[in-house]
Amino acid sequence: MDKNRRNFLKGAAAAGGAATFAAGYYGPLEKMGKGLVNGTSGVATADRLHGNSLAPEYSVDPKTGEVVLNPDQRIAFTVCYGCTTKCGVRVRIDNNEEKVLRVSGNPYHPLSSDEHLDESAPVLEAFQRMSSFQDQGQLNRSTACARGNAAMSQLTSDQRVLKCLKRTGPRGSNQWETIPFEQLLDEIVAGGNLFGEGEVEGLRSIRDLKTPLDSENPEYGPKSNQLLVMEATDYGRSALLKRFAFNAFGTRNYGHHGAYCGLAFRMGSGALMNDLAKNAHVKPDYANVKFALFIGTAPSQAGNPFKRQGRLLAQARTSGNMEYVLVDPALTAAASHSASDRNRWVSILPGTDTAFAMALIRWMLVNEAYAKDYLELPGNMAASKAGESGHTNATHLVIDDDNHPRAGYFLRLSDIAQAQAGADDDYPVVVNMTGDFESSEVATRGQLFVERTVETGAGPVRVRSSLFKLRQEAMRYSIEEYAEFCGIEPDVIRNLAKRFTSFGRMAAADTHGGMMSGSGFYASYSINMLNLLVGSFNQKGGVAKGGGSFNGVGAGPRYNLEDFPGKVGPKGVFLSRSRFPYEKTNEYKRRVAAGESPYPAAAPWRSLAPPILTEHLLSGLEGYPYKIKAMIGVMANPMYGQAGLTSLLEEKLKDPGNIGLYVAVDGFINETNRFADYVVPDSVMYEVWGFTGAWSGTLTKMTTACWPVVEPRQAKTAAGEPVCMDNFFIELGKRLELPGFGDNSIEGADGQMHGLNRAEDFYLRAAANIAMAGKPLPVASDEDIHASGIEALLDRIKSTVAGDEVGPVAHLYSRGGRFETMAKAYDKDKLGHAWKRPLCVYNEAVGTAIDSYSGKRLVGTPTHHAPRFWDGSLLRDHYPESEWPLLAFSFKSNLMNSYAIGLERLRMIKPYNPVLLHRNDAEKFGVRHGDTISIESPGGKVLALALVGGNVHEGALGIEHGYGHRELGAASHIIDGQERAGNPYLAAGVNINDLGFADPTRKDGTATWLENVSGASVRQGLPVRVRVVESMA
Amino acid sequence: MDKIRRALLGQIAKLTAGAALVPLSSIASAGINDQPPRREGDPEKRYAMLIDLRACIGCQACTVSCHIENEAPLGNFRTIVSQYEVEHEETGNTATFMLPRLCNHCETPPCVPVCPVQATFQREDGIVVVDNEACVGCAYCVQACPYDARFINEYTQTADKCTFCAHRLDVGLLPACVESCVGGARIIGDIRDPDSQISRMMKEHYDELMVLKPEMGTAPHVFYLGMDERFVSRPDAKPAIWDVRDQQGEEVGYEFSGH
Repeated sequence: MDKNRRNFLKGAAAAGGAATFAAGYYGPLEKMGKGLVNGTSGVATADRLHGNSLAPEYSVDPKTGEVVLNPDQRIAFTVCYGCTTKCGVRVRIDNNEEKVLRVSGNPYHPLSSDEHLDESAPVLEAFQRMSSFQDQGQLNRSTACARGNAAMSQLTSDQRVLKCLKRTGPRGSNQWETIPFEQLLDEIVAGGNLFGEGEVEGLRSIRDLKTPLDSENPEYGPKSNQLLVMEATDYGRSALLKRFAFNAFGTRNYGHHGAYCGLAFRMGSGALMNDLAKNAHVKPDYANVKFALFIGTAPSQAGNPFKRQGRLLAQARTSGNMEYVLVDPALTAAASHSASDRNRWVSILPGTDTAFAMALIRWMLVNEAYAKDYLELPGNMAASKAGESGHTNATHLVIDDDNHPRAGYFLRLSDIAQAQAGADDDYPVVVNMTGDFESSEVATRGQLFVERTVETGAGPVRVRSSLFKLRQEAMRYSIEEYAEFCGIEPDVIRNLAKRFTSFGRMAAADTHGGMMSGSGFYASYSINMLNLLVGSFNQKGGVAKGGGSFNGVGAGPRYNLEDFPGKVGPKGVFLSRSRFPYEKTNEYKRRVAAGESPYPAAAPWRSLAPPILTEHLLSGLEGYPYKIKAMIGVMANPMYGQAGLTSLLEEKLKDPGNIGLYVAVDGFINETNRFADYVVPDSVMYEVWGFTGAWSGTLTKMTTACWPVVEPRQAKTAAGEPVCMDNFFIELGKRLELPGFGDNSIEGADGQMHGLNRAEDFYLRAAANIAMAGKPLPVASDEDIHASGIEALLDRIKSTVAGDEVGPVAHLYSRGGRFETMAKAYDKDKLGHAWKRPLCVYNEAVGTAIDSYSGKRLVGTPTHHAPRFWDGSLLRDHYPESEWPLLAFSFKSNLMNSYAIGLERLRMIKPYNPVLLHRNDAEKFGVRHGDTISIESPGGKVLALALVGGNVHEGALGIEHGYGHRELGAASHIIDGQERAGNPYLAAGVNINDLGFADPTRKDGTATWLENVSGASVRQGLPVRVRVVESMA
Repeated sequence: MDKIRRALLGQIAKLTAGAALVPLSSIASAGINDQPPRREGDPEKRYAMLIDLRACIGCQACTVSCHIENEAPLGNFRTIVSQYEVEHEETGNTATFMLPRLCNHCETPPCVPVCPVQATFQREDGIVVVDNEACVGCAYCVQACPYDARFINEYTQTADKCTFCAHRLDVGLLPACVESCVGGARIIGDIRDPDSQISRMMKEHYDELMVLKPEMGTAPHVFYLGMDERFVSRPDAKPAIWDVRDQQGEEVGYEFSGH
């Protein structure tokens, strides 16, 4: 940048994020006079006054409201891939150029609309409602966000992969040749000396369902487990991917981004909601909640669902009754100065949220500021009698004696000889109001704080109620001590506790990605406990799980997309050593038999955690529990997303001796798939099929229907279908002669078999299942079909599904999905969709899980511990504050995400991410606003620019996520001998994950720092130091 | 960022939108002050925008959708949301202040009289537009605008600015920025229609509305609700940093500065 421009910008007014409006002011200064000399040297505009603005998509009569469509354009409803919220959008397309013009929200869609329109409303009426006619379109909007708007440039990006690529140099050398799809299939199926580097085992040989992959450890399962399939996340296509991986190929190993996204949060929430299988979570009922605490999450800055939360938050603080406090290391856009009477930011030290939440819990229990009547309900019977939609296990009694065979489990009727163990009526026991032991399904109330000895079949044993145990944990530290840990004044904590509990059950505590710390699982569990204690679950104005989605890919009313002839059930131990107790392995048994202590295990076995990509890769390359031979990755990019992974994995992944075959399916080359052997081009946004659901907190049931509203631009298969994720797995399945793919693979409800030979064979039948579920959708009118741009789709619908399904399926696509009516959101003072499982003050599965290092049981309630490593030693034992004075953390950008850097309209607003540094720290380390600083952690070093101010907690260093890329267009690649140049601007800024580091206490080769219970990647609270590299005048 | 200096407040009298609204009652068929006569557009209407800053979440959906709708060159903006870190004067709390900015479609637009070829003019409905066939790209209007709301479009070589998406308003559609406003902050409408949403909101919040740089006497027709009066004129704020550097420490500058 030249000097003048820099100075000019420094004189501008904007700070802390967005570009200055005045950035547009510089051009004219330069051009002054030029126009007068040369005349209008520019290109003539399309319109005299409106310049080159787009032609309107329709017009609305100001008197009658009649909508007249522009015949040169069409509007179609599908999904946005701009982030993982997966909003339903309306896409404007130029019919002559088949070009996407602009995007906005689908008015039928709850994630995009203020109040979503009932799906019975005709499409033209929906268009009228989005117009300025009677101000309707701004009284009730349906929007697309900045990224959703900008993301359409993916379609036409010159960095897109459009043909099948095969590497021509060593892995990661960025040298490729294009090959036909059929050749790619042949090679990966058969294997051979594919790269002149020696034999590569093909998928046909790896797919062996009979031979154990390790005869000494048969529990690991068959050889077919040596294929690892990973994907970014479910963008509505996972069902087909899993059909291939689990049920056709028969591998156990599938992983997605969750473990380096928000897993610690999700599992802490799952523990509280008694759902460690799916890790359900809640969000506030924004429209009615009176007070909310946002801890480590900032709705409207980012988060899922982004737009829905942003909109509801904005309205609740503007015209509603909501007050909220943001507890976060960073100042975000969620703290609104203009609505400062309704919200406030309280800063906290990264990774210490447990201390804050446990302090609140302590205050609530000491001051009896909890929903006593609700917590005393011991079971379903009592809850239903009291008009509640659920209950907690606050009164249930935990067997609290390590010597008892059922230590850590709830005392059940069978323990006191009142039921058969394991029988349906073997309910937990509580102490009722008269002090007697009673079934939780008989007592109408239970005592909350119980500590007693009870006679069981296995002798007398100490039992304590769940709430008693929680209080024990909470009382381990004083409010002052908790305050010291988290850096928030004791009185601020007390006042927040008082405020939070002063709104009865209309208060919510909400958290999300800020929990990815070295104590994240218990942090999330303790924050969610605040909701349990005030009784806000399922309440109007409380917290909501949401309405869920329609399942089209199960054994549906019209087609069975779940089962098929020859379906395989995957077997064996996950590569990530999760959901499988170490104590059941042969390795454990051998160590016990040899008379040695089985602990610590050679590496973490996490019995509660789902399959986690954070362990998969290093485990599979290191060979514990076993090695993988091949990997298929779909849009996955763990090397950008997992803290510390790149430096540990890169050299291992480059070596074909460690893994023979890596096939990537993606529209772009990213930091991970640049190491692939083959790249299969994928469809990108607006070209894809699929069905996506809603994020938690969306009160009504809904499913988004995605379909290619424009023709995919990439290569075609020999059969003329686009090469994409779906067709890749279909063709691969057929080539491998796997069950579930090809002719006669899908059974209709009438017993007739149908083929699965192309993507729509699967998705249009899933559409029929959704459209025909319950009361079938009506038949779409001709007008709806025309107005929603699905005329071209209609032919494919007709040739795929049964005659009576055509109209309802067309209706589904004409609305962009199926959406329950807004009226179902509430049922009087309760939410329309309740979470029915008992909520856990104490979680039995957690309280009986064994830590594979120490061999000890985990604490079953929320508990405070400082960030720690696998062996239980604390972060600061290894990396003291004296050497690493700051704690780095990341926060989500309100513009960029982990894969958006290629979108030039986002880069032009926010080209990079200066890091947030508190002014006191800046002074301490001699850093001035705008200085270039070096940030060093135990695992890496990066250069950044310092944004000095009061925008971050003292002692913390904030890094906005989404920058610091090496790929996605940043690097050059040689394809067929031609250079495709990279754009260095895409590499601007820093990625916090380059500061990640290895857990110094792991002895199994190398592993990044992961939270102990969940295996979630730790990125909140990384120890760092800074120094000025060069000061900028 | 340091606290916005209190001294600034002493310099600016609190001029709210009330003052800006005065000329409305005196709309003349001929020009106002030295303004040339208005032409084209619907004489029955006066378009204006109200931005409820309490509902602005700073998401830049308006910025990007406008940029696409109006084919602005990369790096040029017809609208953008500036974001500031500010301290509350009474509580001392730090928060984020979002300020969406665009052409104010002033009642007495300083950009109009300076045009040597009368390419830029005000429609009868109040929208200030540029006739691309007449504009010679001299940039006098760009200089004259106190709000930095104009630029010379590198492709057309003519003055470019927000038109309230007149091409959409004229056919019954909403401007791109309003349509895409996630928080519901931007309200457009006809302030001569007392039943319009904007008229009702302006009536309800009349005393709280503010405009930018009221002291310029331009009578802006973009009204802000939830405005901090320290921002009605250019605030004394530390700038954002634009010196982008790569991981080798080399300055790479702003990508879109080539125009």
